[in-house]
Amino acid sequence: MSEAKTASAAGAKPESSKPTRPAPKPNVYVDTQPFWDGAREGKLMMQYCTETGRFQHYPRPVSVFTGKRTLEWREVSGNGTIYACTTVRIPGPGVEGRLPLPVATVELDEGVRLIANILGCAPEEMAIGKRVTLAFDHFDDGTPYPAFRLADNAR
Amino acid sequence: MSKRDIVIAGYSETRIDFKSGRSAYDLAGEALSDLLTATGVEKDRIDGLSVTAPLSEAPNPFYAVYMSEALGLTPTWLNFGAIGGCSATGGVARAAAAIRDGACEVAVVLSADAPSTSWRANYGAYRSEFQDPPGVQGPPASFGLLISRYIHQYGLKDAALGKIAVTQRAQALMNDNAYSKFKKPLTMEDYYASRVVSDPLRLLDCVMFCDGANAFLVTSEKTAREMGLQKMVYPTAFAEVTNFNGADMLADVTESGFAKISGTVFGKTGLTPKDIRMFQPYDDFTIAVLMQLEQFGFCKRGEGSDFILDTDLSHTGGLPTNTGGGQISAGQPGLASGGLNLAEAVRQMFGEGGARQVREPKNALVTGIGVIPYARNWGTSAAMILEA
Repeated sequence: MSEAKTASAAGAKPESSKPTRPAPKPNVYVDTQPFWDGAREGKLMMQYCTETGRFQHYPRPVSVFTGKRTLEWREVSGNGTIYACTTVRIPGPGVEGRLPLPVATVELDEGVRLIANILGCAPEEMAIGKRVTLAFDHFDDGTPYPAFRLADNAR
Repeated sequence: MSKRDIVIAGYSETRIDFKSGRSAYDLAGEALSDLLTATGVEKDRIDGLSVTAPLSEAPNPFYAVYMSEALGLTPTWLNFGAIGGCSATGGVARAAAAIRDGACEVAVVLSADAPSTSWRANYGAYRSEFQDPPGVQGPPASFGLLISRYIHQYGLKDAALGKIAVTQRAQALMNDNAYSKFKKPLTMEDYYASRVVSDPLRLLDCVMFCDGANAFLVTSEKTAREMGLQKMVYPTAFAEVTNFNGADMLADVTESGFAKISGTVFGKTGLTPKDIRMFQPYDDFTIAVLMQLEQFGFCKRGEGSDFILDTDLSHTGGLPTNTGGGQISAGQPGLASGGLNLAEAVRQMFGEGGARQVREPKNALVTGIGVIPYARNWGTSAAMILEA
């Protein structure tokens, strides 16, 4: 109920109100530098368990498959399928000026999922099962962040 | 098989309020005071305390110790329950184990929170780098994702989720503790007109953070009788699981930890879903109620919509469900939330349901949910069966 009130207040703001989307600080809980460095090179980097040959995401202090630090970072293809999707329609930190915001759980061909935005996509275009390819969104300071586009819209 | 040596021999619950201006300590004090008044138990008999970690006091790692001091209690067993909405039933189960182990005799399981007055939690960890950037700060976006997948696999009837919202609201109208602004009837038209917050999730599918507290007196049946207590219920089965399917990156998100623990609680009691007299499921979102109906076997997977539409969920119906309005219509008292569903079960089984009293309240199934993890359903699932 209170959310609705906040929503109408935010909705009334002029379109020019500046978005506040600062880039997060890397490495705050585990070493995530390869993810951020990879993004700057246009790559999606994920943790790979060298013992089981499986990817995991989000990054963890150990392999969730072995409980040991059998981990290295590898690039993934960035090709995948929408596993679940929603459109965020209520304001909150970091989403100002981005609403309605298409969000999906993307299942990559490598067998791992991540939550990401689907860029250049109307909410009604987004659907489970649709193919997506890697794209990049940017924080206020230009730092790139992995996102996706519908494969049909990519070219 | 089920153990009948430990009892819940008293409960209390404050009114639920929004932006009360009060602290978790103050609300906890009210709940303790009411519990002692209701049971006639002297404060100094309490030698065990389970305290639920609240959003409003989260920065203090010694909150449970501070609470003991604030309440003038000297526990020889102190538990700090940090599994969110599972902390109340989980606290009762842990207190039962402590009593059996001789660590204490008379325990209070206390949950108080005031996040609508003071939100001081910071989940930290991976969230700032991996969950917040795509805009998934709050539970609604996570539940929007979850519902979308459920719809894809099974199909979902909007009318079923609407019926949960409308029925629970009708029950809340009979609950003096429900948040006052929720004390107006809801129609299906209201539900359909409710704004979408994160597709396909509507505002009326969601809880609202409020302030409130609840407390339970847990002891052995023997001690309870020695203290002259008349009303008691037996927590005959409890099970919980955290991070279900956690090492499966491709887990089916429509399957939750309840699928794993439902068999445990039914197995311990010898009961089946047909034997359950009332269901008090954790209800942060309407879809959670539907998914639990399936995962506890009241109906088959994917048949939740039809089951809800075919079943009277009110206190006079075939499966009385969240008879006090649940969190969705009474208000969610932060992480004291799990105690709201438990308090309603105990209240009903004590025959204190008033206008919403369930007939022959011989048992209840109560559940808890704790935290929304990354791209899944929920972090901890807990279930408890209470028997008369």
